[in-house]
Amino acid sequence: MRNRLALPLVALLVLAACTANNTTTGGSSAAAFDPSSVSGTVVFSGWQASKDEGVALQAALDGFKAKYPKITVNYQPIATDYATAMAAKFSAHQPPDLFYVDSSVAPDWISQGLLYPLDDWASSRNFDTSQFFPGYLDAFKGQDGKIYGFPKDGNALGMAYNKDMLTAAGITAPPTTWDELVADAPKLTSGSQKAFCLSSTLDRELAFIYQNGGALLSADKKSAAIDSAASKQAITWYLDLFKNGWGDTPKNLGDDWCGTSLGKKKVAIIFEGGWLDPFMKSTYPGVNYAWAPLPKGKQAGNLGFTVSYSIGKDSANKDAAWVLLTYLTGPEGMKLWTQGGVANPSRKDVPAPAGKEVLVAGAADAHPWSFIPGFSKINDAFNNAMTAALEAKSDDPTKIVNDTKTAIDQALNS
Amino acid sequence: MAGGTATAASPRRSLGQDRRQEALAGYGLIAIPMILFLVFQIGSIFFAIYISLWKWGPLGPTGLNPFRGLRNYETILGDPIFWKAVTNTLYYTVIWVPLTMALGLFLAVIVNQKIRGQTFFRAAFYFPAIASSAAITTLFIFIMGPDGLFNGLRQAAGLNPLFQLLGFGPTYNWLGESRTAMNSIIILNAWTTSGTFMLFYLASLQSISHEVYEAAAIDGASAWQTFWKVTFPLLRPGHYFVATVAVIGGLQLFDQAIFAGGQGGEPNNSLTTIVLFLFRSAISDFNFGYAAAVGIILLVVIMAATLIQRRLFGQAPSW
Repeated sequence: MRNRLALPLVALLVLAACTANNTTTGGSSAAAFDPSSVSGTVVFSGWQASKDEGVALQAALDGFKAKYPKITVNYQPIATDYATAMAAKFSAHQPPDLFYVDSSVAPDWISQGLLYPLDDWASSRNFDTSQFFPGYLDAFKGQDGKIYGFPKDGNALGMAYNKDMLTAAGITAPPTTWDELVADAPKLTSGSQKAFCLSSTLDRELAFIYQNGGALLSADKKSAAIDSAASKQAITWYLDLFKNGWGDTPKNLGDDWCGTSLGKKKVAIIFEGGWLDPFMKSTYPGVNYAWAPLPKGKQAGNLGFTVSYSIGKDSANKDAAWVLLTYLTGPEGMKLWTQGGVANPSRKDVPAPAGKEVLVAGAADAHPWSFIPGFSKINDAFNNAMTAALEAKSDDPTKIVNDTKTAIDQALNS
Repeated sequence: MAGGTATAASPRRSLGQDRRQEALAGYGLIAIPMILFLVFQIGSIFFAIYISLWKWGPLGPTGLNPFRGLRNYETILGDPIFWKAVTNTLYYTVIWVPLTMALGLFLAVIVNQKIRGQTFFRAAFYFPAIASSAAITTLFIFIMGPDGLFNGLRQAAGLNPLFQLLGFGPTYNWLGESRTAMNSIIILNAWTTSGTFMLFYLASLQSISHEVYEAAAIDGASAWQTFWKVTFPLLRPGHYFVATVAVIGGLQLFDQAIFAGGQGGEPNNSLTTIVLFLFRSAISDFNFGYAAAVGIILLVVIMAATLIQRRLFGQAPSW
C-alpha cells in the first residue's frame, strides 16, 4: 500500500518543487515576477565622463537602494578604454551584470552574441517600453528585431547660439530653416569671428542629410543610401558653409571641439547636444547663449545619441540586474538621474529638466545613431573623405559618397 | 695509487656528470621564462594564425559561416585603407629611421667626449625615451596647435614670412593638416627615441680601441676625417643593430598616431598606421580574426625587412 502510493507522491512532490524553483528564479512566465523578492549583488559597470555624472548616478543608486534593499550594487566604472576592457571581460565569459553599451557599437556587440535579449522579460515582467523615444530605443534592436538594452538617457542635437552676437548682427530670432541659416551666415561672419563652428564628421552632417530626405543606409539596412541625390545635395550644402568662409572646423579654429569655440566667443552658432551645458557652466560661464531647434530642411531630422544599460549573455546575476535596469530606465530612476541636468531623459513620461525642453523635443525627430556591424569603418571613411574635401576647399561630394559607399558595401558583405 | 687511478678515472665520469648537472641546472633556471615565452609569445603567434582564418569575436567563432579560410587576408589586401596604412607606415619608417640614427650618433659622439657634466647630459638626452608617450604626445598636440607655442614662438621670432613662403600660414594647424601631420610625428619621435639610439651607439663607440685614433692622429687626420673615415666604418655592427631595432620599432608605430589622430587616423587617414588599423578592427568592430590577419601580415613584413637588412649590412654585432 505504502509502496504504491510512494511513487505518485514523489512525482507530485518533484513537480511541486520544480514549479516552486521556477518562480524564485523567474525563468518561467507562469508565476508573477516580484522584484522586491530578488536578492543578490549586481556588478554594475560603465564609464564616467565627469564628476557631475558620478554624483547624479549615485543619487539614482541611492534611490534604488532605498526601494530594493535586498540587492547590493557593486559599482565598478572602467577608467581605461571601455571597449578594450569589456572585450577582455567578454572573452573571459565574465562580463559585469549590467553595463553601458554605446549606440554606435550596439550592432557589433549584438551580432557577436554578447548581450541578453530583453523582450521576453519586458512582457512577462510588465516593463513598459512604449514610453521610450523610438530614436533612442531602436538603436538597441538587433537584426532579429529583439531589444538588447534600454536607453539610459538620450541626446539629440540642438543649435546653440550666442545671443549677444545675433543681436549685434541685427538678427532678432535664430534661424529656423536652411535658407534663413544661409541668409544669417554672412551677417555673423566678420573679422576673425565666424558664423559657425562645424564638425567635419558624420555625427553632425548626417542630421542634415536626414533633413534633406537622404540617409546613410536604406530603411532595411541592407544597402547604402548615401549615394542618393538627396544625400549628395545635403553634403554639398554643408561643404558650402565652409567654402563660403562662414564656418570652420574646431581644429582649424584652434580648439578641440566646437564647445570651446563657442566659449571663447570665436563663433556665433554651433550644433551640439545637451553635453554642452555642464561644460559651458563650468568652463565658460560668462557666455550668453541659448538653445534653438536645428534649422529645418525639407523635413525635420535629427540624430539620437544614446547609451544603453544592457545585461550580458554570460552575466551571472541576470535577475538582480533586471531589477536595477528597470529601475534606472523606469520613470522613477531616470528622473533622479536626469533632474540635475547632466543628461536628458530618453522617456516621454519623464519631464525635461529645466532649460532642456528644446533638446528633449529634438528627440521626437531623432534617427538612432546606430547602424550595422562594422560601422566604425564607415564612420572613418566618411570623416576622412570630408576632411580631404575641406582641405581642398571643395564642395564636391563625389569622393565622400564613393568612399562611404565602398565602406558600407564592405561592411554589409563581411 | 688507488686514489691516483680513482682520480684518473673519476674526472672523466664526474666531468660528464658535472656537465649534465650544470645543463640540468641551466635548463631548470630558464624553464619558467622559456615556458612563458613559448606559451605567450610563440603560442600567441600560432593562435593568431589560427584565428585569422575565422570570423572570430570575443566569444569565439561567430556568425553563420565562421570559417573564412584566406578570405580575411583577401579583404585586407583589397582594402584601400589598409594600403594607405602600409604607405604611411613605410614612409614613416624610411624617413624616421635614418633621421633618428643620425641624431643618436651625433649625440653619442658628443657625450663620448670628456666634458664636464657628461653624466648629466647622458641622462638628459635619454630622458624623453622613458617618459610616458601619452604625456609627451598630448603636450606636443598643444604645442603644435594653431594657437600653440610653436606658432607663437615663430611669430615672436619674426620667422613668419619664411614660413609663409613655404606655404604655412601664421595659424597653421601642424597636426590637423594631412600634409604635415605625419612629418610632425616623425620629428616628435626622432627627438624621443634619439636618446635610446644614443646609448646603443655609445656602447659601440666605446668598443673602438684608442690605438686606431692614435694612428689617425699620427697620420694627421682632422676631426671630421677621423670621424668619417675611421669611426663611422668601425661602427658597422652598431649601425646594423640600431637599424634593425629601429625598423622593427618604426613599422609598429601606434601610440603617437592614436593620440594625435584618434582611431580614425585623422586627418584624412594620414596618421593611419598598420597597428592602428589592426587596433580599430579589434576594438571598434570586435573582429579579432580580421585584426589577427593584419597582425600576421605585419609579422611577415617585419621579418622580411629584418632579413633584408641582415643581407645588406652583413654581420651581426660582435658584442
